[in-house]
Amino acid sequence: MNVALAATLLSGSLAGNRWRSGLAVACIALGVALAGAVHTLHASALDEIDRAARTLGGEADLQARGPRNGFDDAAFVAVAKLPEVAAASPVVELDVVAVPPGSGGGRQSAEGRATVKLLGIDPFRAARLQPGFLTEASGERAEGSPSYLDTDIAFLTPAAAKRLGVGVNGSFALRGPRGEVKLRVGGLLPALEGGGPVVVVDIAHAQQAFDRLGLIHRIDVRLAAGVPRDRALAAIQAALPPGVRLERPDDGASRTAGLTRAYRVNLTALALMALFTGGFLVFSTLALAAARRRQEFALLRALGLTAGGLRGFLALEGALLGLAGAAAGTLLGLAASLAMLERFGPDLGAGFFSGSAGTFSPDLLALAAVGFAGIATAATAAFAVTRAFDRLDVAQALKDRHLDLPAAPGGWAAPAAAAALASLAAFVPAAGEIPVGGYLAIVLALGAAVLAVVPATRVLLSRARAEESPLLVLATAQVRSLPGHLAAMVSGIVVSVALTSAMAIMVFSFRVSLDGWLYGVLGADFFARASPNGDAVVFDEPLQSRLAQVPGAERIDPIRYDRLNLAGHSHPLTVMARPVTEKLLAGFQVDPPAIPPKGEAMNAWMSEAAADLFGWKAGDEIQLPFAGRPARLRIAGTYRDYARTWGAILVDLEDWRRHTGDRLANDVAIVADRSADAKALAKALARIVEKVPGAELHDAAYSHNRALEIFDRTFAATYALEAAAVLIALAGVTSSFAALAWSRRREFGVLRHLGLTRREVLRLLAFEGAAAGGVGVALGLAAGAAVSVVLVRVVNRQSFHWGMEIHWPWLALLALAGAVVLLCALGAAAAGRAAVAREAVDAVKDDA
Amino acid sequence: MLAVRGLAKRWPGGALLFDDLDLEVAPGEFVAIVGESGAGKSTLLNALAGLDRADSGSIVIAGTPVDALDEDALARWRRAHVGFVFQQFHLLPYLTVGENVALPLLLNGVPSAARAARAAQLLARMGLAGREDRKPGTLSGGEMQRVAIARAVAHKPRLVLADEPTGNLDEANAGEALALLRDAVKSEGAAGLLVTHSETAAAVADRVLRLAGRRLAPA
Repeated sequence: MNVALAATLLSGSLAGNRWRSGLAVACIALGVALAGAVHTLHASALDEIDRAARTLGGEADLQARGPRNGFDDAAFVAVAKLPEVAAASPVVELDVVAVPPGSGGGRQSAEGRATVKLLGIDPFRAARLQPGFLTEASGERAEGSPSYLDTDIAFLTPAAAKRLGVGVNGSFALRGPRGEVKLRVGGLLPALEGGGPVVVVDIAHAQQAFDRLGLIHRIDVRLAAGVPRDRALAAIQAALPPGVRLERPDDGASRTAGLTRAYRVNLTALALMALFTGGFLVFSTLALAAARRRQEFALLRALGLTAGGLRGFLALEGALLGLAGAAAGTLLGLAASLAMLERFGPDLGAGFFSGSAGTFSPDLLALAAVGFAGIATAATAAFAVTRAFDRLDVAQALKDRHLDLPAAPGGWAAPAAAAALASLAAFVPAAGEIPVGGYLAIVLALGAAVLAVVPATRVLLSRARAEESPLLVLATAQVRSLPGHLAAMVSGIVVSVALTSAMAIMVFSFRVSLDGWLYGVLGADFFARASPNGDAVVFDEPLQSRLAQVPGAERIDPIRYDRLNLAGHSHPLTVMARPVTEKLLAGFQVDPPAIPPKGEAMNAWMSEAAADLFGWKAGDEIQLPFAGRPARLRIAGTYRDYARTWGAILVDLEDWRRHTGDRLANDVAIVADRSADAKALAKALARIVEKVPGAELHDAAYSHNRALEIFDRTFAATYALEAAAVLIALAGVTSSFAALAWSRRREFGVLRHLGLTRREVLRLLAFEGAAAGGVGVALGLAAGAAVSVVLVRVVNRQSFHWGMEIHWPWLALLALAGAVVLLCALGAAAAGRAAVAREAVDAVKDDA
Repeated sequence: MLAVRGLAKRWPGGALLFDDLDLEVAPGEFVAIVGESGAGKSTLLNALAGLDRADSGSIVIAGTPVDALDEDALARWRRAHVGFVFQQFHLLPYLTVGENVALPLLLNGVPSAARAARAAQLLARMGLAGREDRKPGTLSGGEMQRVAIARAVAHKPRLVLADEPTGNLDEANAGEALALLRDAVKSEGAAGLLVTHSETAAAVADRVLRLAGRRLAPA
């Protein structure tokens, strides 16, 4: 096919299908935009974390990082003395909350408070690794040359000054465990601009003000010149207590990338599903356009155009639609991610990057890949159409005005094979945390459903008994006679209904499971949280005792958390220490549910995620570094934990306290006496809790509802995406019917000659729409049920390590099915209005 | 059966297409109207079927004043009392030959067994016995027109209207189709009206009228 002929055909095709082509482009663009935006937001967040780590790390070669609760600062002395170390700097690192009056204009966290990172440094040692910590290096200083040695002085990065709404010499306050920690801005640190919102104070002041005496979180190290790296690493690691591990300053960003990979991939997969739906719309657009031009193509073939030439033309048309969609989608995705970054930051609802500002840093390679996926989707759809037209019977098509696609005979073999492969794929193990087999199973299940459209329609219609109703007879005959058309029109509905119902089933299952889990794990009447944001504030033992002595409080359960970074594992491990009872284990759905007798090793229960990520099994004996000392634990069973994605371990509080000597608590659960006056008890507890700056007290109902609110908010974007997919598919069906109805206007003219009214013709179209929608919905729901099982049992388990039972949202599914069938009927009738608007006399003469 | 009095129709621009037409066709009578292209033959046919409205005059078919009915009532009346044969056949491609013939019966609520029997009887009369289950696309032009004729008389209409029914057929097929059409009309006791520009086609009619100079007159 030469360029002139291709251009002529293409202009005719696109001009005749402006609306449908636009819809197909929009659909591809939507998928590309969503995937592009997810990648850009994620890349921006990671870029910021990486830049912050490099900026704050300065010239450090290594960082020794301990658990979240810190480690003994004696380790610093041991490291600093090593001949392999040229310079070392101890760091206290805390996420702290600003006191609201001083935070005016600052960015608020989800809880409505400005959070910043607090670094406590030894300025002289820190400056050897990062001169930017000293204002003399580049900063603007307050009058009287304040220094780190002044206990009320802090130096701020420009981002922190902006977030806190203060300037040089300005005052602000942070929440400390014993009240407000008042500080004055001694100067700005523009050299640390890339470090994010950071407040820097002297390390001694940080330890004293935030109750971290004798504890540090990090040691930054520069190695001595000429020392072999391996030897240096070994020497430093030997000087560090258990649970403190060495890493490069930029390892944090790659660790975060690893941690968020599953989340990112799942969001991208969701976006690609929109693209997938778009692919069916492209297929349907091209297929219907090609069907309308069947005689024209047959004529071109008769005039000497080869089958390859025709294939090339159709492929070119698909690629152009894909290219337009990819270009528009990329621009839309960039604009959306920029707007979201400015307005909400890079966090997408899962809390991975909450508090991070994120700097717009598009990942061009990823964007190109997503754009290519858009083009490939459209090209694949075009390829499917070209395959159909390979079977075009030129002689028959020339004399036949029948409008169907030259479809292959649709049997059950192909869908059955696809379904069988999907079942097998579901058993493929994850690659990393990416459920490759799960996604393959989903795609194959959707493919099976689409391939089943033709044979299923045949079976359904062969059983349909509509011999006496003229409109039903005509509608079923029409639907039955156009298998190619039907497949093209209905495939979008099948895919979108399948995805929507699958997501609905998965989300409903998750919500019901979470709801039940919350009832079990809350198990107390009130909850006091020392530090809802950040980690600077904890409940000390005297306060715990005061809570326990409040009249009406039957019992309190202090809860202590720590987060360990284990050598050889990229995921952190949360330690949760609280009084363990049979009732608590039942609430956490522990398997097996019994408490084993105490032995030399302390009993521990691992979350499902910990079992997956760390490879432990019930009965295993393991060793973990608790507060810088190795602790022996015996895994007694597995528990369900929807609150911590990255793995957690539950131990009895007494065991923890005996081993660590740490008697602090992050949270306290309070069980009320049955006879207590709940309101009076709540007031009495609140009076104690409110003495701790920033601490909160809530009843169980609030905590329960809050968790479900957060769940619903997290999945709100999913609902929106699914609604968009269904609307796109419905728009596709409507536009398909519009195209089909326009092609059938002569037929409608004949029917009106034979005595059908306009209204009856529209009702006929509505029946056809409902029939097509019904087939799509039936297959979509069947595929959706299969996909939901894969999502629950494979994707969620492998990506997020959450176990859950399947619960069926019957009412929602029924409503979805009814709405789609109704909208298909209304859409088809609406689409046919233009076709029956013409006079019947003109319509039968119309030669188009 | 068909009585037209003083029928007039203007072009959309206002010029007269035909004026003061009178026409009567008796049951079992087959009348042809000839005339040049653009004379208004098809427009007259459409007005008689209630598909187009005349500007003045009256049309009464089997005692029913057609021009007094609204659009929906006209459609229902047409469904019961009028049969059509078109130049382009206009068979529905997704129905079988038998279903196409039985379509008017289906629209009039005739049970399926009766429909099938009547379709088989008419197809046999048209020389197409055994073709009930084939799709129209597999038939020749002449065969398709015979199916269309069977469809036009399937529900025993009072009036059968044929608009250039031989325009797409060769001479042999045209002659055969016209003979079958006339026989079908007569055997069913309908009034038949054929419009054509072909004098040869018109020759099969009982009576031939010419539409020329806005008036209808014997040819």
